[in-house]
Amino acid sequence: MKVPWSAASIRARMTGWYAVALSLMLVVYAAATFVAVRQEFQEGLDDQLHDDFESAEGVLTPTADGRLAWLDRHHDPSNDEDRGSDVWSPNGEQLVSSGASGTLPPLALATAGAQPHYQSIVAKGRRWRTLTGTTMVSGRSVVLRVARSEERLREQLSEVLKVLVFGLPLVIVLAGAGGYVLARRALAPIEHLAVEARRVTAERLHERVSVPNQHDEIGRLAAVINDAFSRLESSFDKLRRFTADASHELRTPLAVLRGIGEAGLVETRTPAEYKEAIGSMLEEIDRLTTLVDTLLRLSHGDAGSVHLSRESLDLGQLTREVASSLGVLAEERRQRISIESIDGVRVSADRLVLREAITNVVDNAIKYSPVGASIAVSVRGDGDRAVVEVADQGAGIAAEYRERIFDRFFRVDSARSRDAGGTGLGLAIAKWAVEINGGSIRVDPGAISGSVFRISLPIERLLDHLQRQ
Amino acid sequence: MPRVRVLIVEDERKLAQALASTLTSEHYDVVIASTGEDGFFRANAEAFDLVVLDVMLPGRSGLEILQTLRQRHIDTPVLILTARDGVDDRVLGLDLGADDYLVKPFALPELLARIRALLRRGRPSEAFRLKAADLEMDLVGRRATRGERLLDLTAREFELLEYLLRHQGHLVSREMLAREVWKEPRRATPLDNVIDVQMTRLRKKVDSDAADRLIHTVRGVGFVLREGEP
Repeated sequence: MKVPWSAASIRARMTGWYAVALSLMLVVYAAATFVAVRQEFQEGLDDQLHDDFESAEGVLTPTADGRLAWLDRHHDPSNDEDRGSDVWSPNGEQLVSSGASGTLPPLALATAGAQPHYQSIVAKGRRWRTLTGTTMVSGRSVVLRVARSEERLREQLSEVLKVLVFGLPLVIVLAGAGGYVLARRALAPIEHLAVEARRVTAERLHERVSVPNQHDEIGRLAAVINDAFSRLESSFDKLRRFTADASHELRTPLAVLRGIGEAGLVETRTPAEYKEAIGSMLEEIDRLTTLVDTLLRLSHGDAGSVHLSRESLDLGQLTREVASSLGVLAEERRQRISIESIDGVRVSADRLVLREAITNVVDNAIKYSPVGASIAVSVRGDGDRAVVEVADQGAGIAAEYRERIFDRFFRVDSARSRDAGGTGLGLAIAKWAVEINGGSIRVDPGAISGSVFRISLPIERLLDHLQRQ
Repeated sequence: MPRVRVLIVEDERKLAQALASTLTSEHYDVVIASTGEDGFFRANAEAFDLVVLDVMLPGRSGLEILQTLRQRHIDTPVLILTARDGVDDRVLGLDLGADDYLVKPFALPELLARIRALLRRGRPSEAFRLKAADLEMDLVGRRATRGERLLDLTAREFELLEYLLRHQGHLVSREMLAREVWKEPRRATPLDNVIDVQMTRLRKKVDSDAADRLIHTVRGVGFVLREGEP
């Protein structure tokens, strides 16, 4: 067989194992049966010999000339081939014999004890079973031996053996075939599942396999497969959206560049106008560069090839730094950033990366809160989490967008964000930066209006512990 | 005063031309080598004050050239240009004896600033007073005046003005400001906006009451502090 065992189908393997196990059990069973039958036959023969002995004892009589003779009224000569009996004097003289006893070897008197005993002997190619014992005939002690041929018993045993040996493979083949059919039946739903699952391709990811009974094993497997398809579909969707958005975001500056360049070449313009055109091209290039850099950083992050230099940071201090750095942006919009923070909320994180996350979230709050609004930033410890909350007074985010707000290039209002100077990657970067530091970020509706962005990081236990002391 | 000679080893023709014309307009003597072999030959045979070396060259790689030059004890300052944003290239380049590096794409003002810094290296240039027209800064006393008027600057604005004054007459990109003044190694959109706002405020304080403006915005590039027209 060229197919390795492990490559065979489950059905074949199940049948194989089943057949092997069944064969082993049947062999043991057959052997046990054979031994028991042989034992039974042997005991039957011995019982017959015992009867023979007693009846021989009974019909043995002394003749007038002082010898012994069988007084056998029911003698059946047809049995003389298979049985015989003889009587020996204590000094080894055969006194009388009948049947096939003549073919037996002389009785070894030394072995004839007082107790009757059974013995198997071979004489002239035939097997015999004998029972030898001492008996008294009219006051004389003589040794009586009765014998029966074992040949018939052996024939019967070999019949039994034949049935067992030839019947066994037949039973195994039949059972194997039955096992195969059963295995096929049991595995048919899996085959069906495979056919259905194969139907679901990248183009038809919305399709699902059918779940016949959700409580049995197959049903659970189907549910698991469907679940995997759902996740696959959602990441495919995400990827598709990202590709579409990314190509849009990348093409827009290119289109602008080309437009400005072409427009500038059509007519001769003043040096000032050319300078203006070139400057505006450079601005687009700048935007494109930032975009590509950010995308590259995110993809480095996806590939897991970002090296973090973790250190122990005071989250409150870091947040205040960010707020003071971005303060001028809020001032321009006459917004107020209020900070409520306690010292000693320490986390282990990469300073620059975490700072970037907080910067993007606070910048987002400034950008989307109206002029004159106030932005509340708070830092606190919550059990084993360190939490930064940024509450804005923006328009809020509809529930269906709350997950997607952190997707790359996702914009609730796509019209205004590019004008606000964003790349559409700020919150995606924030999410990446928080998660790579072992934290999580989420957005909830604010108490009255707007949204609350919540960055949560594992608090640094060691320092927390030291502080309590 | 003899002109400063710069060798540019860069196979991308357009970029080499742009570098050459920028450096020429800054009064440097420029020689372009467009292959690794040519670059190595020239750097080996002629005397230059500075080499701008692309890492990815056809034929002989920039790092190989650098290594051979240093092995021959040619200690001309070398600034390497690398397209890859990986740490490896930079570290390798600096280990092999490069004096500085820039990652493509870079802004020309940045390259000029790096070149000035490399040429200035080893010379004491720290001044305690900086001056441009009637704008004066006293770095020790932390005072800045425009004519008779004392400028009321925040700490950040003071640093910003100091940086502009140190590079007066030269373009300063947002990238340079982010790194040198804000000490942020990465430039992000929020920071760009912060830089723009700070610059607007600084300009208001420095230029609003004066007859001629000193701080100019060069669209798409950055800022320059200069007397007269930008």
